[in-house]
Amino acid sequence: MKNNRILIFLFFLIASFYLNGCSKSNESNNYVEKESFQMGTIISQKIYGSNAESSANKIIKRLNSIEENMSLNINTSTLSWINTNSGESQVFHVNDDIYNVLSAAKHFSELSQGAFDITVGPLVKEWGVFTDDPHVPTQSRINELLKLVNYKSIEFDPEKKTFRLPIKGQMIDFGAIAKGYAADEAVKICRKDGIKSAYINLGGNVYVVGNKPDNTPWKIGIQNPRAADGKYIGILRISDKTVVTSGDYERFFVKNGVRYHHIIDPRTGWPSNSDLISSTIVTDSSISADALSTATFVMGLNKSKELLKKLHGVDAIFITKDKKVYITENLRRYFDFQDESGEFTYVEKG
Amino acid sequence: MLKKGDIILLLVIVLGILSAVFFGREDAVSLSNTSGIPVDNIGITAIIKKNDKVIRRINLTSLNKREVINISGVHKATIVAEKNRICFLESDCPDKICVKTGWLSQPGEIAVCLPNKIIIKLEQDKNQNVDGVVK
Repeated sequence: MKNNRILIFLFFLIASFYLNGCSKSNESNNYVEKESFQMGTIISQKIYGSNAESSANKIIKRLNSIEENMSLNINTSTLSWINTNSGESQVFHVNDDIYNVLSAAKHFSELSQGAFDITVGPLVKEWGVFTDDPHVPTQSRINELLKLVNYKSIEFDPEKKTFRLPIKGQMIDFGAIAKGYAADEAVKICRKDGIKSAYINLGGNVYVVGNKPDNTPWKIGIQNPRAADGKYIGILRISDKTVVTSGDYERFFVKNGVRYHHIIDPRTGWPSNSDLISSTIVTDSSISADALSTATFVMGLNKSKELLKKLHGVDAIFITKDKKVYITENLRRYFDFQDESGEFTYVEKG
Repeated sequence: MLKKGDIILLLVIVLGILSAVFFGREDAVSLSNTSGIPVDNIGITAIIKKNDKVIRRINLTSLNKREVINISGVHKATIVAEKNRICFLESDCPDKICVKTGWLSQPGEIAVCLPNKIIIKLEQDKNQNVDGVVK
C-alpha cells in the first residue's frame, strides 16, 4: 500500500519532468521567421508561439493592403491618385489607413514646426535620391518647388474624411511615416493573436513585442553611422517598444566630391544640414517614432531636446557630427555604450 | 535496510529523471531545426533566401574552399562565400546596393538585393550579442 503511494507520486514527478520540458522547448523554439519584400524594403519577422505562422501571414497581408494604399510607386494607389489630381477642385474620400496617417502627420508637422512635412514630395522627386539617377537641382528650381511644400495647405476634413491638395503639382510623401504606421498595425495583429514575444523589422523600423522567450529584454544594436551595416555603437535592452533611426548614411550619393543624403529639409529644399548624423527614437508608437526620428534629425540636437521635454514616454539617442552620443535620461540604464571603433564619445550628462 | 522493492523504485526514479533530461534535450534540438535542413551549431551560418524561401545554408566557420553561387531570375546575382565571410560579388540589378554592402562576417549582418528579392543573413545559434540592429 505504502509502495503504491510512492509509485503514484513518482509517476507524477516523472510526468511533470516531461511536461515541463515540453512546454519550455515549445516556448523558446516554436517560432516562425519570415522575410518579405514589401513597401519598397525588406520586412523581417520573428514571431514566437503556436499561432506564429498564421500571425506572420496575416501581417504580410495587412502590409500589402497598406502598400496598395500608400505607395508612390504603384500608379493605382490611393496616394498616387491624390497626387496626380492636386490642384483639381474635387475632394477625395480617404479610407481609415490614410486618414490615420494624415492626422498623425499633421500632428507631427505642427509639433516640429515644419521640420517634418509630408508635402515634401515634389522636392524628394526632384532630387531623385530613391532613383538610379539622383541629381542636384538648381537653386531656382528648388525655390520654385518650395512653393508647393506646406502641410498647412492640405484641405483635410477629419469628420467627413475628405482630402484635397489645393495647388497643382503638390505631392504627399508618406516615406517618413508609412513604415511606422505599418509596424504599429503589425503589432496590433500580434497582440490580438495573443503573441507574447516577437521581433518585427520593417526596413529599419523595429518593434519588439514583450520580452524574448527566455524572459530577458530584446537587445537591439544602434547602427554606428560611420561604419558598415550591422556595426553598432551601443546596445539597447528593451521590451514592448519600437526603435526607429534616421541617419544621413542610409541613402546618399556623391557629386563633385560632395555627399548628399536622402532626408530633405522641407524648409530649405536641401538635404538636412543640422548638427546630427543620426537620431534614434524609442517609444511605444512606431508611427510617432518614425515621424519624430526624421523631425529631430532635421531640427538638430538642442531643438530636439526641447521638443522631447514636451512629450511623454518618448526617448532618444542623438549622434552629432562631432561624434558625440547623447541619450535621454530614462534610457540610460537600458543602454550599453559599446563602440568598437573608439571614435565616439558617450555624453552621460546633459 | 533496502528491500528488493525499494531498489526497483530507486532504479525507476533514476531512469525516469535521466530519460526526462535526455529526451528534453533531444526535443529542443530537433524543434529548433524547423526547416529540416541540418545546421552546425558552432560558428556562423549564412542563410540565403530568395522570395522568403531558404535556398542555401552555409556554415562559414567550417568552410574551407571558396564557393560561388549563381542565382537566376529577372536579374542575375552571384554570391561568393569564403571562410568566415560572404558577399554579393555581382548583380545586374540597377542600384547595386547589395554589392556595395560588401563582405558580411558578423552574426546579425544582412545584405539585401531588393530587385532580385534575395537576402543573405548571418546567424549564430549560440551567444548572439544582439537580436537586431536598427539603422
